[in-house]
Amino acid sequence: MAAQGRIVWVSGPAVRADGMADAKMYETVVVGDSKLVGEVIRLTGDVAFIQVYESTSGLKPGEPVLGTGNPLSVMLGPGIIGQLYDGIQRPLRELSKASGSFIGRGITTSPVDMEKKYHFVPTVSNGDEVAAGNVIGTVQETDLIEHSIMVPPDHQGGKITNIVSEGDYDLETELATTEKDGQTISLKMYHKWPVRKPRPYKNRYDPTVPLLTGQRVIDTFFPIAKGGTGSIPGAFGTGKTVTLHQIAKWADSQVVVYIGCGERGNEMTEVLVEFPHLKDPRSGKPLMDRTVLVANTSNMPVAAREASIYTGVTIAEYYRDMGKDVVLVADSTSRWAEALREMSGRLEEMPAEEGYPSYLASRLAEFYERAGRVRAAGSPDRDGSVTLIGAVSPSGGDFTEPVTTHTMRFIKTFWALDAKLAYSRHYPSINWMNSYSGYLADIAKWWSENISEEWFNIRSETYGVLQREDTLKEIVRLLGPEALPDEEKLILEVARMVKIALLQQNSFDDVDTYCSPEKQFKLMKLCVDFYKKGQQALKEGASLSDIRELGVVSSLLKARMDVKDDEMPKLDQLDKDMQEQFKSISGVKVSN
Amino acid sequence: MSAEGGVQYSKIAEIKGPLVIVDDVDNAAFDELVEVETKDGERRLGKVLEVGNGKAIVQVFEGTTGLSISGTNAKFVGKVMEMPVSKEVLGRVFDGLGRPKDGLPDPIADKFIDINGEPMNPEQREYPKDFIQTGVSVIDGLMTLVRGQKLPIFSGSGMSHNLLAAQIARQASVVGTDDDFAVVFAAIGVQYSEAEYFRRSLEESGALKRSVLFLNTADDPAIERIITPRVALTVAEYLAFELGMHVLVVITDMTNYAEALREISAAREEVPGRKGYPGYLYTDLSTLYERAGKLNGKKGSVTQVPILSMPSDDITHPIPDLTGYITEGQIVVGRDLFRQGVYPPINILMSLSRLMKDGIGEGSTREDHGEISNQVYDAYSRAQEVRALAGIVGKAGLTEIDLKYLDLGDTFEKEFLTQATDENRTIEETLTLMWKIVSKLPKNEITKIKDKYVEQYYKEE
Amino acid sequence: MNERHPLANSALEQTIDKILNQTEKEISSNIESALTDSYQTLDDSVPKLEQEYDKIVADGKKEADKIEKQIMGSSDIEARNKHLMALEEAVDKVFTQALDQIANTDRSGDYSNLIKSLLDESTKILGTTEVVVFTNAKDKDAVQSALPNYPGSELSSETIDCLGGVKIQSKDGTMTFDNTIDARIERLKPLIRKEIAAKFGVSN
Repeated sequence: MAAQGRIVWVSGPAVRADGMADAKMYETVVVGDSKLVGEVIRLTGDVAFIQVYESTSGLKPGEPVLGTGNPLSVMLGPGIIGQLYDGIQRPLRELSKASGSFIGRGITTSPVDMEKKYHFVPTVSNGDEVAAGNVIGTVQETDLIEHSIMVPPDHQGGKITNIVSEGDYDLETELATTEKDGQTISLKMYHKWPVRKPRPYKNRYDPTVPLLTGQRVIDTFFPIAKGGTGSIPGAFGTGKTVTLHQIAKWADSQVVVYIGCGERGNEMTEVLVEFPHLKDPRSGKPLMDRTVLVANTSNMPVAAREASIYTGVTIAEYYRDMGKDVVLVADSTSRWAEALREMSGRLEEMPAEEGYPSYLASRLAEFYERAGRVRAAGSPDRDGSVTLIGAVSPSGGDFTEPVTTHTMRFIKTFWALDAKLAYSRHYPSINWMNSYSGYLADIAKWWSENISEEWFNIRSETYGVLQREDTLKEIVRLLGPEALPDEEKLILEVARMVKIALLQQNSFDDVDTYCSPEKQFKLMKLCVDFYKKGQQALKEGASLSDIRELGVVSSLLKARMDVKDDEMPKLDQLDKDMQEQFKSISGVKVSN
Repeated sequence: MSAEGGVQYSKIAEIKGPLVIVDDVDNAAFDELVEVETKDGERRLGKVLEVGNGKAIVQVFEGTTGLSISGTNAKFVGKVMEMPVSKEVLGRVFDGLGRPKDGLPDPIADKFIDINGEPMNPEQREYPKDFIQTGVSVIDGLMTLVRGQKLPIFSGSGMSHNLLAAQIARQASVVGTDDDFAVVFAAIGVQYSEAEYFRRSLEESGALKRSVLFLNTADDPAIERIITPRVALTVAEYLAFELGMHVLVVITDMTNYAEALREISAAREEVPGRKGYPGYLYTDLSTLYERAGKLNGKKGSVTQVPILSMPSDDITHPIPDLTGYITEGQIVVGRDLFRQGVYPPINILMSLSRLMKDGIGEGSTREDHGEISNQVYDAYSRAQEVRALAGIVGKAGLTEIDLKYLDLGDTFEKEFLTQATDENRTIEETLTLMWKIVSKLPKNEITKIKDKYVEQYYKEE
Repeated sequence: MNERHPLANSALEQTIDKILNQTEKEISSNIESALTDSYQTLDDSVPKLEQEYDKIVADGKKEADKIEKQIMGSSDIEARNKHLMALEEAVDKVFTQALDQIANTDRSGDYSNLIKSLLDESTKILGTTEVVVFTNAKDKDAVQSALPNYPGSELSSETIDCLGGVKIQSKDGTMTFDNTIDARIERLKPLIRKEIAAKFGVSN
């Protein structure tokens, strides 16, 4: 029986109600006369502690609280792609129809359009045995997404009866029924799944395929694998959002779930405005056709911010179960942690570091554990992945604060944003000395097989130059650059080249915004060749300024913007020019 | 809330800090407006922070000084705090709670609006992209402001941020439209002279008739400061989204706002976050800053320029830090430049406008704007490195190219950054100055600009 | 929040309407003259403006524009503010007259219904009829005769200074609800002002 209680206490998003002995933990409840959505987060005697997902302004003790009997769930079915949801999967477009430009309260809407018809192609027949997770047919959700209709993961399985024939159906149509032990269950195009419960799978694989993002500093230097975990911490102004948007735009996954969790409203608007016009570099279709947005901006109710992460990751797992590679970007997990802290404070729990609850670390671990490359449950065999990338907004840019330090324990790729680089307009401001990737060895094979066998070595040499420069910089800081011998000055010169030609990337430039793996490799190899030729030339008596003034230098620095992905011969030509120009200075003794 | 308000309770359990705790309350709502009446019949406003189990915690905006347990009454008004608005608020001066301060009657309201506002639906926002010309070169050229943006000024005590904000308010214009423009100014705990400077500045430019002022000065009650930006933004939203005006909201000083918030949090004995500020400071600030924007299908816009003084000039202090995470960039006023007498003393390397990229370029400013601005940033950043180096090894230890950067840095500060408070430069003038600076470099140092623009605009001296 | 008409079921609305009709003409002409005054101020400022303008035109166009803006701006505001003051005066006048009339209303017939509805509302809000009722000397009889309908209620021997209506208090003295005509008018004043102003054709 659903609980029926009364409010006894209200403080911001936290509400206590009595008469709630029948309520369950994490049950969704309807709060007050204005029917706000809430969730039970603690039970003491018959008093339920409820976090309310909408503004509680005007709520009074004495108003009713009704249990729904269900945990907080998302609705999974075609129609999710292209949506902009709030933290509890209410479509914001529909909300605006009810309450205009501003978000009203107590509005219920369906997360997907229940009346829209999709063309269903059955893949099972009457009499087939199905189990939880089995695909029973497909619909084309968008131009890019073929959506598998699956038997829900908590389904008992059984024999298919009454399967419909191929045709157009809406979401409420019964597509088939299953029979087992005399029990008949109907299957529709959608099912619900509780957000706090990971969706089951058959087994997990090691991530070995890189997630290509078209961003050189990521793909080449600090790669992430499909099904991996990554974190991007940075003070404000370091370009976190731009970097995340770049990943969401260009990652070679089939589905992108972007969660704006306690961030700016305009950032979500930007995605909404921009993505429909951007073309996926592989398919040429609008990026919006593979993107789902979950927006609980900073000024929206804080409890729904806590839920938004789970809403997003459950949607990601659902598409993973269809055998798709899904990237989930959460911006920012710090705001999610703050939401936890705020609710914990109102619950008067004993705080741990900086007021965060002691379960912060375990919640973070649970979240990142939902990443992975898996074989989905049921048949036919489908392999999919969920890659989780979480932004962290450390207070004061201090990476020793709790959210950053705990996150670092659970992720394998760490892109450390650096305010100093951002101040000098080096974007993306990913610091190459503090960042790391735990996937380098796993994905090297892919590069070697698909791009070049030299990849791993060339990358190591390039990175070596940056490391050398880092030590030399100390000397320069004390003694000035003129104190260095020419070979070391060359290192500074090449490091500058690597920074400008490779590490920096202009996301607002039409050409530079996305860089193919081939181009990444070729640019990197040009830098290394330049270094080798330079060393050679110095040995043969050329001066550093000869090298610096070679015409090829400025072409190389601008190649990232000047050479399009389909113009690779231009880079080969550049290589030839470089050989020629070095020849012209080699052996020329310059007197001074 | 229904009309069932208006009950007055007289059992006061406790008074601490800005809070009054009322017992035996069974008819009050969260966030409800409260009129606290003292023994002498003086009325003060407050609101419900927490209610339940027969108790209500009321935050008194005008302070609890002089209140006593006996004889104090709390009347729960039955509605949240509202601001009466109409077109006639233009040209008016209000106090920090939105009551007339200019001797004129209460505005006859067209509407009464909940001062807390409601969150804009992100789906209904219109992405800001209309260039606002402030006439200040460093802003227009390098950290462009657009309509609907929130771009704070991070400053320190005693620096010229108010001068700059007043200049922006006077000069701001959108080239090529004649839409109505308005200024809403909220003074939060600033000195009377600063508020007066701002008022006079608007008056002298004839802008007062399209301005609304909310003044909570240093000697006004501290807790009132929680309300001041909210009433100001409520009026701004009304002017923008109901009357179709482009509203520039200047709020100074947000640091005083955050301190008032800390005071309430301390009185409630909440677990503090960094530096004693409440853990919800970020969320609270966002409910102010996020009220900037543009909306689909509405003509007006709300642009915010909040000003805050960084305690000890520390940008990692929670107030600038959390602000920076919410706002769309920041304009940082630099102590060094200020000491050198530079006006406006803006540290461009720490400053940034996130929405700049969409407000500039062909069709709004000029096609080369983005790239020339990147190059200026890059060059000035190099110039700063060279300066630091020159401080150690002397000019003799510098290469020829380093010296060029050194020269560029000086020109940048003297000719581009420096500007008179009444000097209103067009965007063309600003861009010309930027090319003049970049032209100090040899062409092969220009790595961020496409060749075609270099050919068109580069002028070697 | 309050869905009902603010003045429903009270004599107040009728009274105000009546007074409004009586005084509308008078006040409209007041406002007109205030408006004329303010336009006059604006007109007066034009020659002043021209004078200033001539004087400084040599100092440069930019400066002149600035001063022009300034003078125009402040004249505009001055005129507008005069208008606001005149309007407020008019509104006050209506108010005062309305209050006078209410104070002197006949206490028989309909009036006891008003008292009853005020008592109903007040006891409902406090959630008890165990209350002490305060009223003024004039309304005492009307209130006394209505009280038997509210078990546990009693009339205070103390009278309060008000136009009419009741103020009730729980017996322990911790809760009070003021439902005097004065309090009601006070609560509704912003709305009444808006309505009066609307009748004068000020819709802003």
